[in-house]
Amino acid sequence: MSLDPDLYESMRLELRRGSLVLAVLACLRTERYGYTLRQALAADGLEMEESTLYPLLRRLESQGLLNSEWREEEKRKKRFYVLSPGGVSMLAALTDEWRGINASLDKLL
Amino acid sequence: MDMIDRYLNAVAAQLPQDERADITAELRDLILSRFEAKEEELGRALTEDEQEAILREIGHPLVVAARYRKGPDSLVGPELFPYWLFGVKAGLMVLAAVFALTLFIRVIGGSDNFGQDIAHAFHGFFGAGLTLIGAATLAAAIFEHQGIRPAWLTKWRVKDLGAFGLADPAAWGASMTGTEAAKATWMPRSRAKPWPGGEYLFSFLATGMFVLWWIGVLHFPGLMSIQLRGEDAVVSGAPIWSILFGPILLYAFAQMAVDLASLVRPYAVRARAAARIVVAGGGLWLTWAIFEAGHWFTLTRGDETARIGGDWSMLDIDTLGRLGDGGRDLPGIASTLSVVMVWVLAFSAISLVCSVILNIWRVGRGR
Repeated sequence: MSLDPDLYESMRLELRRGSLVLAVLACLRTERYGYTLRQALAADGLEMEESTLYPLLRRLESQGLLNSEWREEEKRKKRFYVLSPGGVSMLAALTDEWRGINASLDKLL
Repeated sequence: MDMIDRYLNAVAAQLPQDERADITAELRDLILSRFEAKEEELGRALTEDEQEAILREIGHPLVVAARYRKGPDSLVGPELFPYWLFGVKAGLMVLAAVFALTLFIRVIGGSDNFGQDIAHAFHGFFGAGLTLIGAATLAAAIFEHQGIRPAWLTKWRVKDLGAFGLADPAAWGASMTGTEAAKATWMPRSRAKPWPGGEYLFSFLATGMFVLWWIGVLHFPGLMSIQLRGEDAVVSGAPIWSILFGPILLYAFAQMAVDLASLVRPYAVRARAAARIVVAGGGLWLTWAIFEAGHWFTLTRGDETARIGGDWSMLDIDTLGRLGDGGRDLPGIASTLSVVMVWVLAFSAISLVCSVILNIWRVGRGR
């Protein structure tokens, strides 16, 4: 039976959605601004739309998981994000959870 | 103003004032970074079309701004949608029944334009239905926006679920076949305790429709006109209804509030009984004020008018016994309707007094 491409795309996006927060937190162990963060994610195979990434960064900051500051770089002011201490703890906890899920799925798959 | 400014202005207009400057500054940096990266790739400056293509990739200003919104993304979210759908279906079924009944009454009342009556009924049903859907959506949106989750959403009990089994119109239709299996689907089990919320839900929806009609949102075509010997006669309200407009609306809202509270906590017997005593007291006062006005409606046919009104003298059995003896002309019809109205008000007062007594007893016994 052939694979329904629309259904596959919808399920693929649903599968990836939950992992994006973890990817963003992991990437922000190093300080970055939005554009370079998106490039870093894309380089590791995790393409993310700007209209998703930027609001996500603000939400994570409002939840106390990221710190940010405006700084000038390349003659332009940019907003740099990095994990806060709370973000570091959250990343560690979510990584454990992710590995647990991964191990369980590996057994099933 | 260049293209980036126009784009960012459109985004900014959708954002909260306190975050506007911060978010647009960050978006500006993103857009410029994307332009620079593309220029580096092409080895030349971008044309306007190329810049616009990048802005389109970033997203429509409404969509981009919406992602920054902190509240819910939809008027009725997935958690509330099943309740919204059930409420709308139940309300539409009640409306369909009301309009079908209105149409039926007009037809058996000797309507001389059946086609127009059907058209009015459909027009009224669709208007009222759309109003109902709008009101339900507004209520759900307020629930979503304020994060309200009533107890009946989260602390429901299996024994309260009886009415939800009646939501399938197919089961109602099947019951019409008369087979035992179909009746078993439709008829409530004799040993099962009826869902107490059903009564309150019906009362809430019925009073809600009355409120919508009372404030002029809902129209029942033909409600205030009658046929007298083939001629149209119009029923118009007496000044007492304008005087009591606010109190009657308040009374209806109070009734709806009690129904809603009863839906949320169907087993809070004492609190509900106490509230009903207050509401019934208000109803008694309204009934008294209407009765004391002595003039309730005016019947008009052409140049002829007749008052529908009455007083204590009409509250005797002899007057009731002569109910069918009134003439068939306009004053005769008005006289008959006056007697009917006097007795309707009297029975309403008696039923409200009974409600007060019953609820005082419930407050005392707690059941």
